[in-house]
Amino acid sequence: MTATAEVAGLRTQTKAFYFNSSAHLLRITAFKADTLNEFLADLKACPEDSIFQHTFRTLQEHHFIREGFSNDFAQWILTDCNQPALAEQLASVDVRDFTSIRDLREQFVELVGEHLESYPADADQPARKTFYFCASDIVVIPTKFVARTLAEFAHGLKSVSIHSIHHHFIEARLRLQLLSNDFSEWLRQGLGLEDAAHAINQIDIYSVTLEDVRRQIILILEREGRESRS
Amino acid sequence: MTPAKPEFLKNPATQDPAARKEPVISHRPQKTGASHSWEKPPAPVPPPHLQEYEAIVGKAMLDELHVLAREVKGKTVKMVNSTAVGGGVAEMLIRLVPLLAELGIDTHWDVIKGEADFFAVTKSFHNALQGGDYKLTREAEETFLAYNDRNRRAMSFTEDLIVIHDPQPAALVRARSESPSRWVWRCHIDLSNPNPQVWEFLKQFVEQYDAAIFSSQSFSRQLPIPQYLFYPCIDPLSEKNKPLTDSEVQKVCDEFGVDRSRPIVTQVSRFDRAKDPVGVIQAFKLARKHEDCQLLLVGGGATDDPEGAAVLKEVQEAAANDPDIIILDLPPWCNHEVNALQRASTMIVQKSTKEGFGLTVTEALWKEKPTVASAVGGIPNQIIDKMTGMLVHSVEGCASQIRYLLAHPDFAAQLGKNGHEHVKENFLMTTDLRRWLLLLRILTGNS
Repeated sequence: MTATAEVAGLRTQTKAFYFNSSAHLLRITAFKADTLNEFLADLKACPEDSIFQHTFRTLQEHHFIREGFSNDFAQWILTDCNQPALAEQLASVDVRDFTSIRDLREQFVELVGEHLESYPADADQPARKTFYFCASDIVVIPTKFVARTLAEFAHGLKSVSIHSIHHHFIEARLRLQLLSNDFSEWLRQGLGLEDAAHAINQIDIYSVTLEDVRRQIILILEREGRESRS
Repeated sequence: MTPAKPEFLKNPATQDPAARKEPVISHRPQKTGASHSWEKPPAPVPPPHLQEYEAIVGKAMLDELHVLAREVKGKTVKMVNSTAVGGGVAEMLIRLVPLLAELGIDTHWDVIKGEADFFAVTKSFHNALQGGDYKLTREAEETFLAYNDRNRRAMSFTEDLIVIHDPQPAALVRARSESPSRWVWRCHIDLSNPNPQVWEFLKQFVEQYDAAIFSSQSFSRQLPIPQYLFYPCIDPLSEKNKPLTDSEVQKVCDEFGVDRSRPIVTQVSRFDRAKDPVGVIQAFKLARKHEDCQLLLVGGGATDDPEGAAVLKEVQEAAANDPDIIILDLPPWCNHEVNALQRASTMIVQKSTKEGFGLTVTEALWKEKPTVASAVGGIPNQIIDKMTGMLVHSVEGCASQIRYLLAHPDFAAQLGKNGHEHVKENFLMTTDLRRWLLLLRILTGNS
């Protein structure tokens, strides 16, 4: 049975959920690093857009990878600086723990700074390749999918692009300034589906693909539909 | 049953010289009596309509393109480059311009005119900007500017967005004071290590644009204008990349005597030292000590390029008496054949020592082929080590990864799937189209 059928007939939400998506145009900034020392200086000085690009946004560019990829900083430090311990630390930074880019930047600065204090000889070791700090110009794109019921919500989820999933599920916390996402907030505030909202927010984006995220959300909605009817 | 290897595929070192009608200068396929599709260029195929991409990228992605396009509908664009046919830029524009028009963006494509002296100068500039030795003369500067001025006077610049491709027409930007347009310089070449004299000369024009676009972060320069990153892309519906049936793949393999019952390791590249075909043979020989496989080197350019012929000779010598190495020097129009041979391959290798973006890697990833490639040029943008392929830095590393992937087909298959998704997200024609729409929206004030 499809998710749409499973969740059909549930209560109607008065405030509609508008599925949007976003498109990004990559800009190359003037910041670039060939050593960890330069990297740390640039981490402190680069625009917030760059931190967003190399953490939140890169998860969309690499949405098909299930494990081992977390952010561009960790990837560069692993493959081009040959610093696996620091790379592991940076890779463990979970963007879902942050609702502001400023705090996220501070976390990276702290980790790299502590490493260089402990291992000062690493500071000026040349990297195999330069790290270029990029940023994105973002345009929000409306889609034709609007949900007022859980059934319409499930249908929208199944129909939108993977970019829309990223927009609502991952980027949203910066917009909301909450440790949550657009999907969970709509289910919680409008329908009072606290458990479903919580379960969706708990999905681990670092060990599944964004298509897996979509499937897991739909499974949660199906379960919610069955429980509501029983 | 494996078909017998046609005469033209046999390694010259193993052939009886007396049996040859003429000296073997390459393994370029020769006519064998039967007619083959690759012997003459195919008839041109009209570019696909946007709707045809839906089966590949999905309806939602196309819907997003339409929404983006709606916001800039009625805007006009002019693309300017230096050649209407041949070369990657023209190939890209042939596809891009009709797709933009289909989305309601009136797009004109102009080609600048020049005589031999102009193109001699711009070819020298091109090589110098990519790191070659060159002494810039006043005469070369004057020739460059004279032709740019002549073209500038013959053209009009009234569109909302003017896109100038590559260095040849870069000085057309001197028309911008009389034009209401926004101007963008799209650089397709590697500027990571340019000849300083030529770059300084060119930079005075580049700085007059509203923005520049590069194909890789490492090709960008210090400039006072915004710099955007547009990865090169492939068209999934082109002859070189469109889906083929197994029987189509088999037919090509039969024509070229390729045995699909054994693993096939393939490199597709023109015969050029920067592609390190001899290094590929060395890596293959090391890998084959442990895993049964055959090597397919598919190239071109050896007949019309003296250096290519010399490299092909080196490749033949390195191949020596090895019956497991097949070398094909194909004519440039053999896109269907290259497509089939890539699809028949167990894995693809791209062991370049220097590379632009590496579109042969993009093609391999799109075909879900596990790929082993050098970490040079734009390849690391495409291959995330151990996630979308394997990055290597030496003959030994290349051999080791070929062995590993042959021994671990499940892992290799996962790399192939990831690689395909990576291309779908970042390096397809539809993604390029989205970037152009975004750029138009951002630069012309509708963002």
